[in-house]
Amino acid sequence: MVRFIGRRLALMVPTLVLVSILVFGLAEVLPGNLGRSILGPYATQQQVNILNHQLGVDKPLYKRYGIWFEHFVTGHWGTSLELGSPVLPTVMRALGNSLLLAGFALVIIVPTSILVGVFAGLRRDSFFDRLITVSSLSMTVIPEFVSGVILIVVFAVSLHWLPVSAMPPQGAPFIERFYYLILPAIPLMFLELGYIGRMARAGTVQVLSMPYARTAVLKGLPRRRIVFNHVLRNALVPTVTVIGSQVGWLIGGLVVIEYLFVYPGIGNMMVNAAQFHDVPLLEACVLMVAVLYMFSNLVADIVVALLSPRVRMAS
Amino acid sequence: MDGGEFAKEEYGQHLVEQVLKGKMTRRQLLIRASVVGLSATATAKLLAACGSSGGGASVASPSASASLPPVVLGGTLKAVIPPPLKALDPVTIYDQGGIVLVYQICEYLIDLTNENALTPKLAVSWTPNAKGDQWTFKLREGVTFNDGSPFEAADVVATFDRILNPKSGSGALAALGGILSPGNTVAVDTHTVQFNLDKPFADFPYLVSASSYNTAILPRNYDGNFLKKPVGTGAWMLKSYVTNQRAVMVKNPHYWGKDAQGRQLPYLDEVIYVFVTDTAAANLQLQSGAVDVQPQTVFQGGQAVLSDPNLRVDVYPSSGIRELAFNVNKTPWQDKNMRQAVAYCLDRPAINKALYGGRSNLGYDTFWEPTVFPGSPTPPVRAQDYAKAKQLLSAAGHPNGVDVTLTVSNYLENPAYAQLIQAMCKPAGINVKINEMSYNAFYAGSNTTTPWLNAPMDIVEWGSRPTPGVYAQAMLLPSSAWSSSHWNNQEFANLFSQYESTTDEATRFNLASKLSAIQQDETPIVVAFFISQLRTQKKNVYNIQGPGSFYFNVNQAYMTK
Repeated sequence: MVRFIGRRLALMVPTLVLVSILVFGLAEVLPGNLGRSILGPYATQQQVNILNHQLGVDKPLYKRYGIWFEHFVTGHWGTSLELGSPVLPTVMRALGNSLLLAGFALVIIVPTSILVGVFAGLRRDSFFDRLITVSSLSMTVIPEFVSGVILIVVFAVSLHWLPVSAMPPQGAPFIERFYYLILPAIPLMFLELGYIGRMARAGTVQVLSMPYARTAVLKGLPRRRIVFNHVLRNALVPTVTVIGSQVGWLIGGLVVIEYLFVYPGIGNMMVNAAQFHDVPLLEACVLMVAVLYMFSNLVADIVVALLSPRVRMAS
Repeated sequence: MDGGEFAKEEYGQHLVEQVLKGKMTRRQLLIRASVVGLSATATAKLLAACGSSGGGASVASPSASASLPPVVLGGTLKAVIPPPLKALDPVTIYDQGGIVLVYQICEYLIDLTNENALTPKLAVSWTPNAKGDQWTFKLREGVTFNDGSPFEAADVVATFDRILNPKSGSGALAALGGILSPGNTVAVDTHTVQFNLDKPFADFPYLVSASSYNTAILPRNYDGNFLKKPVGTGAWMLKSYVTNQRAVMVKNPHYWGKDAQGRQLPYLDEVIYVFVTDTAAANLQLQSGAVDVQPQTVFQGGQAVLSDPNLRVDVYPSSGIRELAFNVNKTPWQDKNMRQAVAYCLDRPAINKALYGGRSNLGYDTFWEPTVFPGSPTPPVRAQDYAKAKQLLSAAGHPNGVDVTLTVSNYLENPAYAQLIQAMCKPAGINVKINEMSYNAFYAGSNTTTPWLNAPMDIVEWGSRPTPGVYAQAMLLPSSAWSSSHWNNQEFANLFSQYESTTDEATRFNLASKLSAIQQDETPIVVAFFISQLRTQKKNVYNIQGPGSFYFNVNQAYMTK
C-alpha cells in the first residue's frame, strides 16, 4: 500500500511538468497577446509592441518557459498582469473559495446520492426505483445555467428566502458563508445526483445478484446486516471511483455556476487568465487544479482499496 | 502662432443669431457655448436673448425631470458593474468597469453634463485664441489630491506629457495624435495651463474632458501603481478593492465640491460596486434587491428588469454605434453601389425594435445626426427599398445576386444584428454568410492581420463619442488608426480638416452638411442606429447624473427610506 501511494505520488511530478508545458503551448495559440489585452483595442500597434517587449513576451517560447519554470519551482510565482496582484495569494484565495463550494456540495451530494441510489437498488423495479431513476436522470440533463436561473428567480427574486449571490457581504462571520452556498450547491446536486446515484444503484443491484448476497439472505441474516456488511461495502467501489473523478470538475470546472452566482472561484479565474494571456496566473491555476484532481483520485483509489481486499492485495 | 484673443462675446452673439435665424436649437447653443468655454451666466444671458426661439433648452436628467424629494444625507448605495478587465490604471483604462471606478476617484479638466455638454471641473474656464490652435485653461484653486498634495498646473502638464508618451500605452494617444504633441502643454502659472496645438482644433475641449477617459488628472509624481495608491481629486476614495468581487468607495471628506445650497458633496457616505460579469446574473442582482442601481442595463436579456415595477429606468440618448464596415479594398465592396445596396436593404426601425425595444435613435449612415449631435444637418432618411437595392446591385454588376461574408464577434448584440442583416439582405439577392468568432479572436493580431480592421465586412462596437468629429477622426480619414473600411476620400479629408479648424458656427454647419452628404453617398460604413443607454435603479434612488454608463456621477445622488 505504501509503495502504491509512493509510486502514485512520484508520477505526479512528470505529469505536472507535462501539464505546464501543454498550458504554455496552448496559451501561445490562443488569439491575441498580452500587450493588447493590457492596453485595449484603442492603443496603437507601436504602443502594444513597446509593452510586449518590456514584458518579454516577444522572446522565443522555450526561453519564456524556462524563465517561468525556474521562477515557479523556486516559489516566485510572479504578479498577475491581468489583476495586478501577486499570483500565489490570488490563486490560493480563489482555490479556497472553490474548495469550500466543492466541499459543501460534496457533503450534500455524496450521502444523498448514495442513499437514493442504494434505496432504489434495494427496491429494484419498484415504483420508487422508477421514480428515482427517471427524476434523477431528468435533473442531470438540465444544464446548470437553466436550473441556476430558475432557482434564483424562485428563491432569491420572488420569495427572498436565499441570497442571489454566493458570497456574503464583507465582514460577515465565516459560518454565514454556508447559507450563501445553499443555492449554488443545488444545481450541482441536480447534476451529480443522477450520475453518482445511478452508480450506487447499479452497484447495489449487481451485488444483490451475487451468490454471496443470496447466501446471506438464505442464511436468514437480518436485512440491515446484509446491507451494511455485504452490499454497501462492495456496491460502493465504483461509486467512490466516480466521486473521485468528479472532484476535479467540482473545483475547477464550475465556470457557469461561478458566473451566475457571482462566486470568485478558480474556474473563472482560469478562463479569464487564458483570454487575457496572463500565463503566470493561468499556469498557477491549472497546476493547482491538476494537483487536487490527482490527489482526489489517489484518495478515491485508497478508499476503494480499503473497501475491497482484492484491489488492496493487487496493489 | 496667432496670438489673437478669441472674442467670446462676439461668438456668443453669433450663436444667438444662429438660433434666431432657426439654424440652431437652444440645446445646440448650450453645447457649442460650452465648447468655447462660455460661463454659465454668459450662456444663460444668451438663452434669454434667444427668447422662445429654438425649442427646449435642455434635456433634463430623467430622474431630475421628476420633482425630487428632499435630499437625504448619508447611506450606502450598491451598484452592479462589470469587473474591470485588468488592474486599474487611469492612464490605460478602456473598459466600463475601470472607467466607472476611475471617474469616482479622479477628475478631469472638464466634465460632461447629462446632455453631453461640457461643464467646468478642475478647469474653471477655457479660451481658444482666434485661430483655434492655442487653448488657455484656468484651473480651479484650493483643490487638493486625496493624499493632501495641492492640485496645480504642473500636475496637468505631467498628466498630458505622460499619456502622450508612447511608453505609457495610453489609448488617449490615438485621439490626441496629430493635435497635441508631447512638451506642448505649458504651465503659465500655478493655475493656468496653455495647450499649444499642432493644428487648429475647434473640438479640443472634448479631448481633455471626461469623454477622453485616459486624461484623468493625476499628481505629477504618479508612479503607475494606482491600486496601491489610488490618488485623485475626486469626491470618492477607494477604501477597499477585491479583485473580481467588489470595490468600496467612501466619501472624500476634503472634497472641494459643494451643491447649490452650499452643502458639502457627496451626499452619500459610501458606494459599493459589486462586480458581476454575466449580464443575466447582474440583472438578477438588481431584481432581487441585492443592489440599488445598474449603470448600464443591456436591452437584450434585460427585458424583465426594464419592466420591473419596483425599478425606474433612465434612458440616455448616446452616440454609441455598431459600425457595419465595408472594406473598400476588398471585393465586392470597392463599388459604392454595393455598399449602398446593403444600406437600402435594412429596415432600421425594425432593427431598433428587435435589438433595443425601439429605444435607440435611428441613423442614416452619417455621423452628423441631429438627434444625437445637436447642431448637425439633418440627413436624408434611408428607408428599406428593395427595388433600389436590386437596381444598385445590377449597376455593381451583380444582377443575379452576390455572396458576401460578414465577420462578427460573439459580443453584446452583435450576433443578433448580424442575423438581422443576413435576413434583410437576402430578398435583394445579397447572400450574407456570417463568420462569428470570439471577442478575443476578433481583436487579435496586428493592424495588418486583425479581423476587425481587415475583414471584408464586419461589425465593430463603439461606445459613445462626444462629437461627430471624434468618430470621423477615428475611422473615416486616410490617417485614421481604426478604419475598418479603409475608405480614402481626399475631398472628405480636406473638408474635415477645415471643419475641425473653424469655430464659426455657420461655416461649420455648411461644412458638416457637405461632409455628411459625402459620407452618406459613399457609405463606407452603415450607421443604422445610435444606441440609447439604459440605467436602472430602485425607486428610492435619486439624482444620479452623467451621460451614459461610463460617467456614473453619484456626487449628488441620495436615497430615501
